[in-house]
Amino acid sequence: MTKRYVMVHDENKCIGCQACNVACRSENGVPEGVTRLQVRVEGPFGEMPHLHFKYHRVSCQQCEDAPCVKVCPTGAAYVGEDGIVSIHGDKCVGCMYCVAACPYKVRFMNPETKVADKCNFCKDTRLARGEEPACVTVCPTDALVFGDANDPQSDVAKLLNTKITYQDKTHLGTKPRVYRVPTKRGGI
Amino acid sequence: MNNTWGDMAQYDPVTWHWIIAVYLFMAGLSAGSLLIGIGLRWFNKDQAQGETSILKAAAIIGPVAICLGLACLVFDLTKPFHFWLILINYNFQSVMAIGVLALLAYSPLAFAYAILVLRDELPKWGLGFLVPIAKLLMPFRKLIEVLLFILAIGVGAYTGFLISAMNAYPMLNTAVLPALFLVSGLSAGAAANAVLALVMFKTDSHDKTLAKMHGLELPVMAIEIMFLFMLFCALYFKGGAAAVALASLTSGVWASVFWIGVVGVGFGIPLLFMLLPAATRHSKGAMIMVACASLTGVLALRHFIVYAGQSYLS
Repeated sequence: MTKRYVMVHDENKCIGCQACNVACRSENGVPEGVTRLQVRVEGPFGEMPHLHFKYHRVSCQQCEDAPCVKVCPTGAAYVGEDGIVSIHGDKCVGCMYCVAACPYKVRFMNPETKVADKCNFCKDTRLARGEEPACVTVCPTDALVFGDANDPQSDVAKLLNTKITYQDKTHLGTKPRVYRVPTKRGGI
Repeated sequence: MNNTWGDMAQYDPVTWHWIIAVYLFMAGLSAGSLLIGIGLRWFNKDQAQGETSILKAAAIIGPVAICLGLACLVFDLTKPFHFWLILINYNFQSVMAIGVLALLAYSPLAFAYAILVLRDELPKWGLGFLVPIAKLLMPFRKLIEVLLFILAIGVGAYTGFLISAMNAYPMLNTAVLPALFLVSGLSAGAAANAVLALVMFKTDSHDKTLAKMHGLELPVMAIEIMFLFMLFCALYFKGGAAAVALASLTSGVWASVFWIGVVGVGFGIPLLFMLLPAATRHSKGAMIMVACASLTGVLALRHFIVYAGQSYLS
């Protein structure tokens, strides 16, 4: 059976500490001024004293129907055999079409390589060694779960089967593979 | 940068800037001027008197504008000296890849056609060595014209398809955009043809072909206004993020660009000139002024669509 790597971000467990953001930068050598992954702290929402924040993970959604792959003129943006959307740096001319076409605005031009860049679930480094992505490993509250959703025994499959989740901008038909467990108002 | 999560600069939804707007304008202008030039040649039955000034103007604008546009495009790449990668790798799902193929055929054909049409002019410009090529091409004139005409429709519409293919932006992701760009390219092409014919080839402002082209301007503008109206209606009735994008018509700098540049200068000035007495409005100065207003309007439209379109996300 083919793999279907997905990530679940539990917005109840997340504390917005940015450890994932920093781990990603260090693991993938992301230059200063650009990021593959941010957790935006939005809010506060609600009335005192029942306030809550929303923790919004902003990173490549690994769309199953990825607009960036469709628009890329050279095929530099591609879907690998593992289903992960990645970039052939040597084919990228830097036309910015993918950066413009991404509805989540999570693609950027890497100022050092001059190539479009984004999260690829640490495909070439940690995933290739059988490890989990850097953000997942480093998360102090275990807010991130990563794995093969096609394997019913995987943690991620069990989580998706038991918790209510949502995905960003599903109305665009991109089928994002980053799932989110919504914040429960009024505490955990 | 005051956020704990870092710099937000890369998340600006406006990815493509004025250089792309200029490229879209130049490609539309090139296609439009050739469509008008070739179209009028086919429409004119009496072709005995040699090449018309309008066709000569189109033969210059066609290749020159597309080259300027492509230069803008290439130098806007982050790796401009690797542009050849786009010529050897093709993803046929991508509008840009299809556009590259169309431009690869269109640009050399536009040059070939220019050499052919300007064969009597070339020696005056010190390009006499190209005349034998014109003679070689002469038997294939009809074929080149038909191919160029079809490719020009493709290039004109392609600039619209290029940006309408992105469903991230509700104002761009509309079916009417390629049609709007093709038609506004026609009005830019007609205007530029008129300027060049009047200034460079010293056409009389009462020239027959010029008058025919002049007659096209009002219907073309009417269709352009209708397509713009359709675009905004589609956004309004779609609601949600699409309707929010309509705010670009009432607030911000792009609202001024639209109402002053596109509507005021691009549509208003040519329409006002039509109210003037025939003797005044058919003077050379008036015709050049109207043409420059049309060109400004089309350039403003490309800027408005590129910037306002990218400012609102679905």
